Amino acid sequence: MQLELQNIKKSYGEGGSRIEVLKDISLGIEKGEFVVLLGPSGSGKSTLLNIIGGIDTADSGKIIIREKSMADMDEKALTSYRREHLGYIFQMYNLIPNLTVRENIEVGAYLSKKPLDIDEIIEVLGLKEHQNKIPSQLSGGQQQRCSIGRAIVKNPDILLCDEPTGALDYNTSKEILALIERVNKEYGNTVIMVTHNDAIKNMADFVVKLRDGVIRKSYRNETKQTAAELDW
Amino acid sequence: MKQNKQQQSLTGKMRKPLNKRIIRELTGDIGKYIVIFILLVFSIGFVSGFLVAGESMIKAYDESFEKYNIEDGNFRTEEKITAAQKERIEKKGVSIFENFYIEKEFDNNTKLRIFANREQIDKVCVMEGRLPDGLHEIAIDRMYADNNGLSVGDKLVSGSESYEIVGLVALSDYSALFYSNNDMMFDASAFGVSVVSDKQFAEYDEGKLRYNYGWLYDNKPQTDEEEKKVSDDLMDALANIVSLENFVPGYLNQSITFTGEDIVGDKAMMEVLLYIIIIIVAFVFGVTINNTIHKEATVIGTLRASGYTINELIRHYMSMPLIVTVIAAVIGNVLGYTCFKNVCVAMYYGSYSLPTYVTIWSAEAFWKTTAIPVVIMIFITYFVLRKKLSLSPLKLIKRDLSGKKPRAAIALNKKIRFFDRFRIRILIQNKSSYIILFMGLLFANLLLFFGMMLPPLLVHFQGIVTENMLAKHTYMLQIPAGAIDDEDELSAAFSYVFLLNKISTNNPTAEKFSAYGLKTTGEGGSRVEDVSLYGIKENSKFIHAEFDDKTVLISSAYADKYGLKEGDVITLKEPYEDKYYGFNVTGIYDYDGGIAVFMSKKHLNDIMGLSEDMFSGYFSDTEITDIEEKYIGTTVDEESLTRVSRQLMISMGNLMYMVDGFSVVMFIVLIYLLSKLIIERNVQSISMAKILGYTGKEVAALYIVPTALVVVASLLISYPILSYVMVGIFRVMLKQMMSGWMVIWLDPSVYVKMFLMGIITYAVVAVIEYRKIGKIPMSEALKNVE
Repeated sequence: MQLELQNIKKSYGEGGSRIEVLKDISLGIEKGEFVVLLGPSGSGKSTLLNIIGGIDTADSGKIIIREKSMADMDEKALTSYRREHLGYIFQMYNLIPNLTVRENIEVGAYLSKKPLDIDEIIEVLGLKEHQNKIPSQLSGGQQQRCSIGRAIVKNPDILLCDEPTGALDYNTSKEILALIERVNKEYGNTVIMVTHNDAIKNMADFVVKLRDGVIRKSYRNETKQTAAELDW
Repeated sequence: MKQNKQQQSLTGKMRKPLNKRIIRELTGDIGKYIVIFILLVFSIGFVSGFLVAGESMIKAYDESFEKYNIEDGNFRTEEKITAAQKERIEKKGVSIFENFYIEKEFDNNTKLRIFANREQIDKVCVMEGRLPDGLHEIAIDRMYADNNGLSVGDKLVSGSESYEIVGLVALSDYSALFYSNNDMMFDASAFGVSVVSDKQFAEYDEGKLRYNYGWLYDNKPQTDEEEKKVSDDLMDALANIVSLENFVPGYLNQSITFTGEDIVGDKAMMEVLLYIIIIIVAFVFGVTINNTIHKEATVIGTLRASGYTINELIRHYMSMPLIVTVIAAVIGNVLGYTCFKNVCVAMYYGSYSLPTYVTIWSAEAFWKTTAIPVVIMIFITYFVLRKKLSLSPLKLIKRDLSGKKPRAAIALNKKIRFFDRFRIRILIQNKSSYIILFMGLLFANLLLFFGMMLPPLLVHFQGIVTENMLAKHTYMLQIPAGAIDDEDELSAAFSYVFLLNKISTNNPTAEKFSAYGLKTTGEGGSRVEDVSLYGIKENSKFIHAEFDDKTVLISSAYADKYGLKEGDVITLKEPYEDKYYGFNVTGIYDYDGGIAVFMSKKHLNDIMGLSEDMFSGYFSDTEITDIEEKYIGTTVDEESLTRVSRQLMISMGNLMYMVDGFSVVMFIVLIYLLSKLIIERNVQSISMAKILGYTGKEVAALYIVPTALVVVASLLISYPILSYVMVGIFRVMLKQMMSGWMVIWLDPSVYVKMFLMGIITYAVVAVIEYRKIGKIPMSEALKNVE
């Protein structure tokens, strides 16, 4: 098991306004799996992703990654965990606005001892002719490709994607999903994707449905579709 | 119509919620507003205090002419004027008044010019105590007293004589204590003026009296030009009636005019300083506003889309800078009228012997320190806001704030290390902040440089003039004017033979020289000043140069001040006659102690129509003791040569510390504000970098190093600029303000000290910024903002 979550609980606020966002979540993810965390707004899926990513902390429960408990990690160890093992893709891309496409990808490459070839990634992502542009010169889809590039260039063990197609149109969304699918296949990274788009579950190996902080359903997908086959 | 009104009042109410943000903006960014506020309060307060003090002082000074009946000029004669002579002089349209004095050395190594109490002209302002009315009582100048730690009740001793100080006074014709009108600078620590009772004055040896007279015109000339003409005519007339030893018309009398000119000059300088500071602060606000608009673009776009007008939003975003400026101006003015005024008044009283003053309300000071800063602030912030907020709501919502097509990124060579490219991008991104930082640091450094450079410059000047003296002792003999009157050569010769005995010395180290005083012509509006011409004997032990019949060497100070070189021609003028002399400069003699010309004694005497053996004084290695004091006019020694630098140290010492302190504050404020802005502008990216796994140190290396580089580069670039500007300013200042010359020397160690101060200041700010970067939460990047 590459990643194991045991009895994760998380709440925000105090007293009467306290909201339990995650109520006793447990699940295990295998290396190389394409996992989709599915649920409506407020179901706790992004919080769960952030806890896995080490940028938020659980109130209780245990997260074991490659047989190491995250609870034993101090700030420094958490930074190095993110640095060595994780790649992040956000809905709003979060590119550094004053760096070019290439340089944004280099931001990721710098963190890895053995980064992938930047030129190859730019080629794969279809960004070759845009590599010297800054984010504000790009369309949403192009920016998201760039953010994928930044995440995968360091060849992370786990790729965390928070609504990566949330701000994109149908066709661009499918292109982006196809890219993530290709990355998953070619580089063998584990992908954990948060989405509220029900159709995307069909391309997952493992689907976890959340509502009100509780796993309503989780299953291995036996009838996996390619991104190109998806429709919504 | 009614419905319209209702709608308007409803919209008015609806708009009010926006105003609530103003207080939240203030509390949310209190650190920034506090530092800006402090900077503004101090600048406005200090300038307001300075202007109020200056205006009050100028008023007291201007009024003193009438109140104390200040003379229109004075002259000194060799002998007391007879009644017949007085009558002849007064026919020239003036009234003359006796204002005799004696000069006395005191045991505290100072010299006092002692007058009898004045009742008609140049009246005395008693600042403390009373005027003397008995024997052995004296009232001394207030500033001389301050500089020598004397107060009412103390004793002043001169050999066997002792005086009780009964009062501290200001003599209206000595607001600046110039010993001689030819001096480059006054010296209120070694020289002062005083009054004694008529009874005491009558006790003095007549041989020591200086027959000084003040005059008042029957019809005052209205302009300087007219006054020059009238006084020139008077001088010619006087020279025909009496033997003049000295003639100083009021408009040229530094003891009277220097103070007024200096206060007016200071005021102008302070105003310029204030406006530069306000403009820098306005630009800091401009950058801040720009950042806020970037941050709030979507909100602004939404508000605009909902019907808010551009002007409503401009007013909203302008309110904070304006509120801060207005409050700072009000508090600054209050402080200006209270504590800062006193500091500035103390500064003036520390330099000048001014009469008592009354604080006046200065509308000018109020406008200049309140209205103009507010207008500058409105103008600059409005301009920035108008430009940004005029974008369409849609562009604002989409955060497309460039106003035009996004500009392509500047291509950077891939071979440059990634971190370096990253930093270059930050430099490009924040170029406007960095330009303001550079300009601000340049300005703060200019102030600091001025403050730190002046003391070593003065010390250095003291050093070189004392090392570089023509002789350890230079005596100028006091030869009666008649003896050198070329209109009456026979009597000149007689007087001279008679005097020769009296002015000979047996001191083996003494060497005779002849000297003659001429003046510059004041070409091109430059100041008319005295030039000493020295006639040097052959094989002089003191002046190491070869002189033939045509050799004319000018002192290095003369060459430096007027940019003269070998081959140039100098034209000099008789002080009290319309007679000109041209000299071909054949070389430069290394002497920084004064504006002087050297030639052979024979050469000088020939030109001036003096006999070959005529001489004017002695250079000597040891003190000459066998010539009666009354035949010695002036002695040039260390004391007289270092007068300028000592007085400047006293007058400007406190100001220098204040300037240093102020520039350091400005330094800190600017670096703090602008590095804070740069960090704030990149909060999202910093947060994202942390999520990606960048360590705090790496983030700091990316975001703090560029500012550090800009600070270091700004400091290094500023030094040659500052040196150039400062030398320029000093040259102009010294040339216009002072007779004589001071070698401008910039102490290299000042650069090192300034650089270290700059770096240490930055290091403090960098530590604050480092901590701030550490505190940026990763959740920042998770907000749905690009």
